[in-house]
Amino acid sequence: MTILVHESTRVLVQGITGRVGSFQTKVMREYGTKIVAGVTPGKGGTMVDGIPVYDLVEDALCEHEVDVALSFVPARFAKDAAIEAIESRIHVVVLTTGGIPDRDVLTLLNYATIKGIRVLGPDTPGVVSPGKCKAGVHPDRVLKQGHVGVVSKSGALSYEVCKLLTEHSIGQSTIVGIGGGPLWGLTQREVLEMFESDPDTKLVVMLGEVGGTMEHEAAVFIEQHITKPVISLIVGRTAPTGARMGHAGAIIEGEGETAESKISALRKAGSLIARDPAEILSRIQALGV
Amino acid sequence: MRLLEFQAKRIFSEHGILVPKNVLLESSIDLENLPYPVVLKAQVPVGGRGKAGVIKTVSDANEAAAVLDELLNSRIRGNLVRAVLAEKKVEVQKELYLAILIDKLARLPVIMASAAGGIDIEQVAGESSERIVKKHIDPSIGLSDYTVHYLAKRIGVEEHLRDFAKLARSLFDIFQSYDGTLVEINPLAVTANGLIALDAKIVLDDKAGYRHGDLFGKLKAEQTWPGKDGRSRSEELAEEKGITYVPLGGDVGMISDGAGTGMLTLDLIQDAGGEAANFCELGGFGGKESMQQALEVVLANPRVKVLLISLIGGLTRMDEVADGIAAYLEGHELAVPLVVRMCGTQEEAGRARLQAVGIKALDDLQAAIRTAVETARRS
Repeated sequence: MTILVHESTRVLVQGITGRVGSFQTKVMREYGTKIVAGVTPGKGGTMVDGIPVYDLVEDALCEHEVDVALSFVPARFAKDAAIEAIESRIHVVVLTTGGIPDRDVLTLLNYATIKGIRVLGPDTPGVVSPGKCKAGVHPDRVLKQGHVGVVSKSGALSYEVCKLLTEHSIGQSTIVGIGGGPLWGLTQREVLEMFESDPDTKLVVMLGEVGGTMEHEAAVFIEQHITKPVISLIVGRTAPTGARMGHAGAIIEGEGETAESKISALRKAGSLIARDPAEILSRIQALGV
Repeated sequence: MRLLEFQAKRIFSEHGILVPKNVLLESSIDLENLPYPVVLKAQVPVGGRGKAGVIKTVSDANEAAAVLDELLNSRIRGNLVRAVLAEKKVEVQKELYLAILIDKLARLPVIMASAAGGIDIEQVAGESSERIVKKHIDPSIGLSDYTVHYLAKRIGVEEHLRDFAKLARSLFDIFQSYDGTLVEINPLAVTANGLIALDAKIVLDDKAGYRHGDLFGKLKAEQTWPGKDGRSRSEELAEEKGITYVPLGGDVGMISDGAGTGMLTLDLIQDAGGEAANFCELGGFGGKESMQQALEVVLANPRVKVLLISLIGGLTRMDEVADGIAAYLEGHELAVPLVVRMCGTQEEAGRARLQAVGIKALDDLQAAIRTAVETARRS
């Protein structure tokens, strides 16, 4: 029983008729994801890759049971689509879209908290439990079913690490992208908590970057609550202070936001530290998971 | 986008926040009629200007001319000074601090105030954070009266409560209506004439620019002096095309299709003994056009001796970015060797397209980095 998504998870795709949404829907279906419906306002009654499209989330829910809403809706309309999914009480809402204004992200995250809905992202590649369900855009070849839980701020960095693990026959339980923006829903701490109680996960790889102070929060949690081994990699060791390194969140504004300070907090909390993906591999091999 | 002080103060004035009488100077002429003594302040988007010595009080036109000659066209932490704000000097009784920003962990705006305003606020925040009082603002509730009263009481401005309440509300209005990520007054002066914002800082959320008509574009245009601001051709191009680009000073040019993998690549370049020339990433939806533009931006830097393109596609399709590389090569003679690492979504199609233009894409990131660093060293 992996976390967030598993064999029986049913996915609804918002923005399914767009260029990105329709392409990624096809790729996910080929991977074996159970996509039951799509939503694009004004395109109700059409089909994408054999999947029925509805105008409204509520229309889709009259016909299908849904566990996860996965959104490819463009930034300008992303808040509205997310609010619609949250109000419909779909338990997990995954926002792949980047570039949503901060004010909109605050609004939808606070609404989700009130309604008790989990939001992944925005600006996330999504979540995948290899061999079971992919509610996201991860390239298939980097994935292999196994027992390493991965939580990452950056999508591409998680692909990079999983590629190396998969090439060395080390599989993953679930790979969670929490989102590259300055604001995000599900936190590293919450994902760590899920991995801790997940029998399929034997160790956790945490991938972070410069900017923000979230890894400090995660470090405190690791020290107090996590018994499984945690291996952390923080990228941006060579990033200059004050420069925005692509992700809106990756900007060093204070002492606690440098790679160095995060690494030292995590080390102190008992996490193993890797300097690069190759060291993650060798540490996992040494642990024999 | 961080606004310059004169822009932020204009917005403050429009919202009823008192600021010192001021005029923007771009040369040292017409200094006779200033209301001396005046404070001259270099207009650059950096903090700590007081400590950097670019805020100066002058008592007559001669002194003003000398200071302007010194400040204009000087460089402050890489930023060229193109304008100086001249302000009437204000008699200050006390300096406070007031700001509204987003608390990323709480996911709410937070209003912060302190009785210890002035140039050392960062130090106060670090060493005696209890001297800064904070309250979250739930946007669905707004800025409550009790919150304002609480702040006023804690920082000792209860005798100016009405002024303070009006000012705090205006600040929150600006924060909300302009899509601000930070609005800050430091120092906020208590004077015989009420509360006056001696400095003004506003940071706007670029992602929200689309819903403000041409406002963000106009503000941006007002703070750029094309061709004269000392930026490199690469930086100018990046700005023009909306490409993420950070110059770093080395000779290994770098383009990635994700921020995390880009930062990893930089770290590994350094570990391999190389020096990156830049950080440049396409972002999740990067396609053919953004790859072409990124190539133009990075290769406009004459220091680049080798270009490393580090790609691992999820949302980004390798066939599309390969099209971008091929299209660039059709129109340009490559002056430096190109090393491409490509894997992920649609990689077979992407590799085939690169093969057709004579590029063999690598699969292993470490190998690609070693190749690039060695190539730079040899050339």
